[in-house]
Amino acid sequence: MGNLQHILAVFQPYTLWLIALGTAGGIVIGALPGLTATMGVALLIPLTFGMDPVAGLNMLIGIYVGGIYGGCISSILVKTPGTPASAATVLDGYPMTLRGEAGKALGMATIASFVGGIFSSIVLATVAPQLAELALEFGPPQYFALSVFGLTIIASLSQDLLKGLIAGLFGVLISCVGADPISGAFRYTFDSTGFAAGFAFTPALIGLFAVSEALVQIENILEEKIKELKISGIWPSREDMRASAGTLLRGSIIGTIIGIIPGTGSGTASWISYNEAKRTSKTPERFGTGYIVGVAATESANNAVCGGALVPMLALGIPGDVVTAVLMGGLMIHGLAPGPMLFQEQPRIVAGIFVGSFVANIFMLVFGMAIIKYCSKILSVPKRILTVAIVVFCFIGSYSINMNAVDLYTMLGFGVLGYLMQKFDFSQAALCIALILGPLAESNLRLGMMKVDNDIIAFASSPITITFLALTVVSLAWPIWQRHQARRRAPA
Amino acid sequence: MKTFSSAVIALCLSALTMPAVADGYPQRAVQIVVPYAAGGGTDLSARVMADAIEKYLGKPMVVKNMPGGGGAIGLSSVAHATPDGYLIGMGAQGPLAMLPHYGGIDYTAADFDYLALMGKNLIVIGVGKKTPFQDAKAFLAHAKANPGKLSIGNSGAGGAVHIAIEGLATTAGVKVKSMPFGGSAPAITTCIGGHIDAVAAHPSELVNHVKAGNIKPIMVLEATRVKEFPDTPTAKELGIDFTWAAWKGIVAPKGMPAEAKVKLAGALQKVFADKDFLKKMGDLGEYVEYLPADKFQALAVHDATAAEKVIRDLGLYGMNVKKK
Repeated sequence: MGNLQHILAVFQPYTLWLIALGTAGGIVIGALPGLTATMGVALLIPLTFGMDPVAGLNMLIGIYVGGIYGGCISSILVKTPGTPASAATVLDGYPMTLRGEAGKALGMATIASFVGGIFSSIVLATVAPQLAELALEFGPPQYFALSVFGLTIIASLSQDLLKGLIAGLFGVLISCVGADPISGAFRYTFDSTGFAAGFAFTPALIGLFAVSEALVQIENILEEKIKELKISGIWPSREDMRASAGTLLRGSIIGTIIGIIPGTGSGTASWISYNEAKRTSKTPERFGTGYIVGVAATESANNAVCGGALVPMLALGIPGDVVTAVLMGGLMIHGLAPGPMLFQEQPRIVAGIFVGSFVANIFMLVFGMAIIKYCSKILSVPKRILTVAIVVFCFIGSYSINMNAVDLYTMLGFGVLGYLMQKFDFSQAALCIALILGPLAESNLRLGMMKVDNDIIAFASSPITITFLALTVVSLAWPIWQRHQARRRAPA
Repeated sequence: MKTFSSAVIALCLSALTMPAVADGYPQRAVQIVVPYAAGGGTDLSARVMADAIEKYLGKPMVVKNMPGGGGAIGLSSVAHATPDGYLIGMGAQGPLAMLPHYGGIDYTAADFDYLALMGKNLIVIGVGKKTPFQDAKAFLAHAKANPGKLSIGNSGAGGAVHIAIEGLATTAGVKVKSMPFGGSAPAITTCIGGHIDAVAAHPSELVNHVKAGNIKPIMVLEATRVKEFPDTPTAKELGIDFTWAAWKGIVAPKGMPAEAKVKLAGALQKVFADKDFLKKMGDLGEYVEYLPADKFQALAVHDATAAEKVIRDLGLYGMNVKKK
């Protein structure tokens, strides 16, 4: 009876209005490059001071859910990942747009985000305390094994394995710039304090994908090779849904688990989900060419992270990713201490957050489907104007993250790098993955080895570590095996 | 004609300068640089402060996050800003009193005007529930018997907590393994998971985990016991003559106008006594301890000297200085 009351409390017009507002605002924040869900939540925490905690927190969760979703809009339409979470969506979403299927790509992204979000909300509401323990199983060796497993995506992403490896290793090298995570010594900063923390990730990402694409577009405009794009319907066909069903479920599970594991977030989840979808697909060669299943894989996973990351935050007081870390601060300002005690002392808050995350996902679906038509209008803007507008947004977005002019050089440098990589057929995605996972692998390898005094057997002794390392071998051998099989079949 | 035009010019000039004299500082919003990412303890403290200070300052205060380099990037931008009173910063012990000793940073503690100390961040050592020893005596005995084996997590290489633990170990005559994580949250989580023996962190970061029974506080690096953990002994009680507390306060680029300095320092003093502000900071688990400008500066200078000794002992002094 008490629980029902707590649940119904969310359905007051005031609370619903705040969740709707948060979700809509989150979508805008997510779609604009440089503005991320993390920033949105942090900026609005002071606004919740005067609100009822359930209403205020659910508004923040709305921003979180909307923000992770919103990133896909700019990824798909203009190849500019609105947030790092949606970088992987570029791979298949943008080619769909080029084919005139932007509406369908956005439709699938919205549905996939909804499925992932609802799946993780169900997990959150039913088995949070049981699953939260998973967050504690991950020490340095486990993180290292997970990130090495993630890095194998590079192998399956590239047509040309050698070029993929070069791009990936170059990414790892680039991620070495900045303070050494263990000693604090500066590496490759050339005595610039601005690079003390290395290259800022989001500006690098914006440069790598958006600026490089703008350069390509400018080149096309100069050579008058402009293609006007058509916009199709917004609903994926029945066959599309059937082809994506398994991927949606798998993406939701991967996203929820990655969300629960602290220190990894939606960026990692979408890449791993994409890789798994491709690895288990009967038609892996269609990935990267505008295959709708690729969009389903990344978007279901990154939104499933939201519910997943709330699991250890609520159950243990350990944030599951960067956004929930900020969210936790918001809870504490309201005098609420997340953790096991919260379930006993404040069931109203816990139930309110459970229900709020469902409601936010429903709002996201409704708003998402409603705005696709209008968003897609952006494609009817003449290319010469659109390209300039995108470049301007890239500058604003890159600067607004850290308010650091050095980040603009980072963005431009990565833009030129991305352009050259496109020209010479190196995978930008491989570089992007290395930038996400390289630092995670490095610091955890070194911390883990330090703990066991460089005893490699002791380092690789836990079941989770062994499992991920074994998966790494499988993941590396799989494409080679597939190619081998294809070659054997081909001459016959 | 000539007199008329000069009269007009004089009038215009006086009109231009008049409002400045009449209204004084501040004319517009004041920016405060937080040298850490949005959402951390320092950031939230700054946001609570910015929210509360408007009624004492007369203009809003806007938080600007410039994370990176353990706080060096943000404080470097404060040190090099125009000292007009419209850009100030949250200074903390790590980036002000420690980072300059490693070199490679383009400011020192002397490049700032100190406005007010906001509070201290005490340092507590906790052990996870899976750690085989659950009190300070067993902890120290283990460290003595196994030099360099006992692992203690901290929030970042070369930061305040890292240096504090190294200082403690030197004073106690033991060798420990300092494991730097990318923030206090991952260090604490790793300790709760039983992957490392202990963790050093601030009380606000530990208190909920202690309540939940996942972390046991075994030692505080204060002169007296702290209110959150009344049963936890100080290092001094255990015979180790060592105390250390990190802190944060408000700094400005050196050489700001006296009027702005007086006005800001006054508003800060009032806000640090504001009931609503103190309540929110209490909920965040933050200690508010106001010190006026001169005492704050003395504290920063004192800690910079103490930190230099530890950093020299560790062989890290000047490690980032460009080698010619």
